[in-house]
Amino acid sequence: MFLAALTSGDYGTVPPDVALVHRLLQRDVRAFEELYDRHSRAVYGLVLRILQQAGSAEEVVQDVFLQLWRNAGRYDETRGPFVSWLFTLARNRALDTLRLKSERQRRREDQTEEFPPVAVAPEYEKDLDEKRCAARVRALMASLAPQQKRAIELAYFEGLSHTEIAAALREPLGTVKSWIRNGLLRLKEGMQATT
Amino acid sequence: MAEAHALGALDAEESAAFAAHLAAGCPGCEKALAEARWLVSQLAYLAPETAPSPAIKERLMRNVGAESHVVPIASPRKSAIPFWLWAGVAALLMLTLYSTWNTHRLSAEVERMQQQATAEVQKREKLEQELAASRQEAQMRAILTNPESTKIMLMPSKKDMPSLEAKWHSQLGLVVTGYEVPKLSGNRVLQLWLIPKDSKAKPMPSITFWPERDGKLAKLVANPEEAMPEVKALAITEEPAGGSEQPTSTPLWVGAVS
Repeated sequence: MFLAALTSGDYGTVPPDVALVHRLLQRDVRAFEELYDRHSRAVYGLVLRILQQAGSAEEVVQDVFLQLWRNAGRYDETRGPFVSWLFTLARNRALDTLRLKSERQRRREDQTEEFPPVAVAPEYEKDLDEKRCAARVRALMASLAPQQKRAIELAYFEGLSHTEIAAALREPLGTVKSWIRNGLLRLKEGMQATT
Repeated sequence: MAEAHALGALDAEESAAFAAHLAAGCPGCEKALAEARWLVSQLAYLAPETAPSPAIKERLMRNVGAESHVVPIASPRKSAIPFWLWAGVAALLMLTLYSTWNTHRLSAEVERMQQQATAEVQKREKLEQELAASRQEAQMRAILTNPESTKIMLMPSKKDMPSLEAKWHSQLGLVVTGYEVPKLSGNRVLQLWLIPKDSKAKPMPSITFWPERDGKLAKLVANPEEAMPEVKALAITEEPAGGSEQPTSTPLWVGAVS
């Protein structure tokens, strides 16, 4: 019974992701597979959105999950949800790749490349809170002014600074800073209001 | 500021200033940054979920499966020479050193044992000589003190020479004794002769001997008993070293056997 309880992943009130990370520390391949199935679509979508190139995105995704397997102990559950940690890891890796490999140049050269079909992921088992959170973020961002939303996306998905965004949008630096600050504040307030 | 920092939108100078502010210690900003990081991470949901290629999962599961039973450890820097070769060379060197040392040790041991064996042989020979001398002395004493021994006086042919005395026991043997016996010249020795009763028979040669430096004489003839019943006299001549078949000089001492 004791062994069964250990191997069944019954960690009581521990969030499912955290329980799976605990099993990763015990070199549980099934736990890794379950984490991959739960988050690979979101991670791949994020990385592909940043890199805009399927081959590079797949390499980064593979690297992110290998790092998860090898360094699961670096995740500190007391400092935030696992999925936030995983998204941050994936975004940082993707932005590093974007900068190091000059993906912008490659994008211009590879405009004829056929992108893999991009579609909303079909439903599969995951936390309802996570699904609701995604829908809420999309709804809140959709409510922003297009330029405001564009400025935040340039910062998040392309890693541009205030100055770079201002140059890209041909808008004053102060305006861009205001857009981003107010947009994130509205996003924060909206998420608090819907919680 | 915290949201922009979490987003990575601050320019380098602004980012450095905010980091310095955090490093100086500002719990309020730290808390705000932690919340901002979570908020920014939610932006990932803006990207549409996309199914990666199944090949990625296959590759990952292969890698993970291979590593599931292996604990990664820092591998030591590989040498151009494989470890087994180093180990072989080290073992050969150790064997050579040991063999050399062992050869020296065994040689010394053999030499020591040879010396010890030689000493033992010499000691044994010395003991055998002492034992033989002791036995000879005991036998001579037994002959001299036995009442059944026959006394034979050997008279000198010259007046300035001492007389000698012989004692014969039929089972123990014959002893010749004397004092102040003159030294012999060169390689000459004294030789005892048994003179047969038959006047036609030749003298029978017996032992050769010479006196001690102090002139003492004590010689044992262990087995003359077979001939002694047929002997009528004893004679001693001076002969070349090694003795002679027949006397080559006039007897120096002669004594009748009664």
